[in-house]
This record gives sequence, C-alpha cells and structure tokens, in this order.
Amino acid sequence: MSERQVCMIGGGMSQWGRRSASLVDVVQEAAKACFDDIPGIKRKDIDGFLFASSYCGRNPFQVNAAPVMAERIGIKPLNMCSRVDTLCAGGSSAIILAAGLVKAGMADVVAVAGGEKLYTPQMWEAYYSEMASIDHDWDAPHGMGLPGPFFAMTAKDHMKRYGTKKEHLALVSVKARRAAAVNPKAQFQKEVTLEEVMKARPIVPPLTLFDCCPITDGASMTILTTPDRAKAFSNHPLVYIRGTAQATRHSMSANWPGEDLADWVHMRTAVKRAYEVARVKASDIDVAQTHDCFTISELIEAEELGFCKKGEGGPFIAAGQTDIGGRIPINTDGGLLGVGHPFGGTGIRQGMEIMKQLQGRATRQVKGAKIGLTHNLSGLNVEHTVLVYGLEP
Amino acid sequence: MPIPGIPVLEGKYFATMDFYPIEAPEFNRISKFYENLAQKKLTTTKCKKCGTTPFPPRVVCPECNSDELEWVELADHGKVLNLSEEVAGVPLGFEAPLIHAIIDLGNGLRMLSRIVNCPAGQLKEGDEVKLFVFSIPPMIMDIKEGTKESPRVFFAFEPVKK
Repeated sequence: MSERQVCMIGGGMSQWGRRSASLVDVVQEAAKACFDDIPGIKRKDIDGFLFASSYCGRNPFQVNAAPVMAERIGIKPLNMCSRVDTLCAGGSSAIILAAGLVKAGMADVVAVAGGEKLYTPQMWEAYYSEMASIDHDWDAPHGMGLPGPFFAMTAKDHMKRYGTKKEHLALVSVKARRAAAVNPKAQFQKEVTLEEVMKARPIVPPLTLFDCCPITDGASMTILTTPDRAKAFSNHPLVYIRGTAQATRHSMSANWPGEDLADWVHMRTAVKRAYEVARVKASDIDVAQTHDCFTISELIEAEELGFCKKGEGGPFIAAGQTDIGGRIPINTDGGLLGVGHPFGGTGIRQGMEIMKQLQGRATRQVKGAKIGLTHNLSGLNVEHTVLVYGLEP
Repeated sequence: MPIPGIPVLEGKYFATMDFYPIEAPEFNRISKFYENLAQKKLTTTKCKKCGTTPFPPRVVCPECNSDELEWVELADHGKVLNLSEEVAGVPLGFEAPLIHAIIDLGNGLRMLSRIVNCPAGQLKEGDEVKLFVFSIPPMIMDIKEGTKESPRVFFAFEPVKK
C-alpha cells in the first residue's frame, strides 16, 4: 500500500490586532472564515482537532483549551482533540502533527486552529508574562522576556561580520507593511516609508519600532485531509504538504550553537532536512513565508534557506529579490511585521498564504507558483520549523 | 492592601507570577547552585563518570546518563562579546536601559547575562565583567505552622573598574 498523502484545502483567520474580543471569540471567527472558505465541508466532517496556543494557559487563564475551543466551534472530533505548543511555531507544529495523523490513517479530516489573546486589561501583565516564554529559571531572571535584546545583538553581529546596514533592515519592514496594507485581516493597514522607519523611536538599538513585530490578538484555522476527500470538499487545486522538519539544539541563551548570533546552525539543519524530505532545493521554491519577528530575522532566514549567499541578505533584499517579481517573494501577505503575531496562529496563517499562492488565489499573487515554504523560529531563537508545500505530492 | 479585582489573593505569594526561580530545596534538586551563589560562587554540575560539564546544572548527565554528578566552580570573570541596551518594552521589575551581554566565560561557555552597576552607553565589546550576586525577594511557602520565608539570591555581571 502506498503512503497516504495529505493536502491543505482551505482556511481562514479572524481579524488580527488589538481586539475587543476574547480567545474563544477570535477562534470562532477563524473557524467561520475557514468553513466559509470551503463550502463543501460541514462541521460533522471534522474527525480530528489540534489547537495551537502558548498563552491560553496564562493570559486568558485557560489550560486544556482544545476541548473548550472544539465545543465553541461546534465540532465533535473523535480521533484526536489536543493542544499543541511550541510558542511562535505552534501553528506549524500542529500542521505537521495533523499531517502525520492523516498520513498514518489515524484521522481523515483534521481541523488545525491556533491563536492567542495577548492583550490583558492592564498592559504590564502582557509584557511581564513574556518572561514565561524563554528558559524561565535562567533567562527570565535577567529580565529577558520579549526577545528584542537577543535579536538586537543578532543584528549587531550580522552588521559587524557582513557590513549589513540599518537601511537593509528597514526595507524588510517597508515591504511587510506594503503587503499588509492590502490584507484586510492584518494588524497594520497602513504603509510606512523608509524615512519613517529609519526615524522611528528606538526599542533596543539598532532595532527601532518598525523592526519589531507587534503584540497581537487573533486566530486562524485550516483543514488538512487526504487528496480524495479534498476533491470532494473543494474545487481548488490540491496543495500537498511535501516535507517538514523541526530542529532544536538548545533551550537557553548560554548554549547558542552558532559561531556568533548571526550564524543559525539549527536553522540550516531544519532547512536541509525539510528540503531532503520534500525532494526540493532552494532554487525550486517559488514563494516563502518566513518568520520576520524582527527585520533582521527575515534577512538571515533568506540566507539560511539558501536563497542568497550567507552574509548577502542585506543587498539581496535591497535589490528587491524578496519582493513580488524578485527571485523569491517573501512574506507576501505582510508577515509577522505587518499582519501581527498571535503565536499559535502564525504558522497556520503562513501555511494558508502559501496554499492560496499555489492555488492561484492570493491577494498579491506570485505568478505560476508551484512550490512554497513556511518557516518559524521559536522563543529566544531555540527552534526552527520548516514546511514545504507543493502542487505535486 | 487588597489586590484590586481579586481581594481573596491579598497577602498571597504567586509562584506563577515570579520571574525568579523557586530556589528552595523543597522545590528543585539543584538548590546547591543557589547556595553556592550566595557564597559568590558561580557553579554547575560535572559528571563524575564522563566529565561532561554542562550549564545550566543537571540532575542526570545528558551525555552518559549517569546521575553521579559533582559541583564545580565556573569562572567569575568574563569578556563581553556582544551587548544590547533595551530602552522600551522593559518588563516590570527592571529599569530602562536594561543592559544584556553575551559573555565569554572561557572553556567554551558563552552566557547571556544582565549587566548591572553600569551607566547607559558605557559598556563596550571586549570589556571585562565580573560576577555580581544580589539578594532577591524571599519565596513564601506553606509549612505546618503557617508560612516560611525562603531567602533567595540571583546573579548578574558588572563592569570591572579600570
């Protein structure tokens, strides 16, 4: 018997941003958008459910959130109903696990949702709770929560070693905001100019306001199933999950595996593995959604994914090679910098944008895209997750 | 003072809101690290079987699976490899600018630490820094007779005066 294949057939998301809504509210909005996107599917068709969220147990004070979300959405999974957490990569982890369930025949139609309610009634708590995001006993006591300081040092290492300039970082943000401006679900609906980005207030130099992704409330949901079921549910071209990888080597700042902070050894491990499994090379990728939690991240990711040479991320972006019409359009829907980053929701948002690109129905369409990928990093850059999607299995 | 919104929590200690470790021996098996730290010694565990010396300390050797470990001292001086000064988004409990550095402690150990006793804009790559140990608020735990305060310390690094 040949191995079962798995397809992403459709999906949707809630409005992302600072929402006057609770976690169960935004998850219901995402589920509605998902079911609206696949008119052929009914709630009763769902036999598996994974819910990716990190902060559900913290800010909305709701652990074991999967059954709660399933009940609110109105699905009654019978093969699997569970929460998944890898912080910023939770949505991608859930897609990988759902794909495994479908491939193994342990479930046929799996809904994968993810999201966060991060804004608390008093904002100190949202920032304070971020100290649970990293290696609590060893990094939090140094005041490390939101990882800006770590990525500021990463940017400094890249600048020192390769001559990368602040303008290179700023261009990543300008590109993200341009894409988000035409994405009605994005947190930021307004373009920014290079001058505005360059003059923005400092957060942790060299990173300024527009170099950092925002705090976001929001959710997303997609559905994975077999090619046969997919054809029955939807008329869109089938989008297969071709290969995945998730690599980690350390849990805390002390055991960073690279030569310096600009050297992402563990990302290269994940990329190599995902390309092997998917039987592709960097030059085969037509469109990518990468983890632009900070502008420097997207720049280094372009290098570690093999889209340009190590150290040339800055000039590569400045030459427009990561824009639509360039060598490899990256973050075509606005990325984390433009759409926002409700941790568990992000990997699903990225996967859905790649799916739409390959189905030929993206808002900012990359012409003739056949193979795409998504990438997340998690926490204090401790883990890398890569998924390769294609129109062929 | 009652806690606004949640008066039943008045006077309670929240382990789930504490950014410092729960250092007391009743709650972990590496409390010796904190006892040593109180003596101004930065330490970790070394495997008696294979010699592996990871940081942070373990209760089982991640290389050879032995649980026969001993405490060894790490360097209390290091060199700044990289640094950042956070001016916005600093969490409650810390003041801006919040200075972090990656410190080379020798023997292949690079550690991220907060830098204290250092004015903004002064720290440079290559600077020498030394261990700085300070008291932090005690952890409160229930015992038969009521509650007990368990004293705690933590560490940062500070510039070596030139």
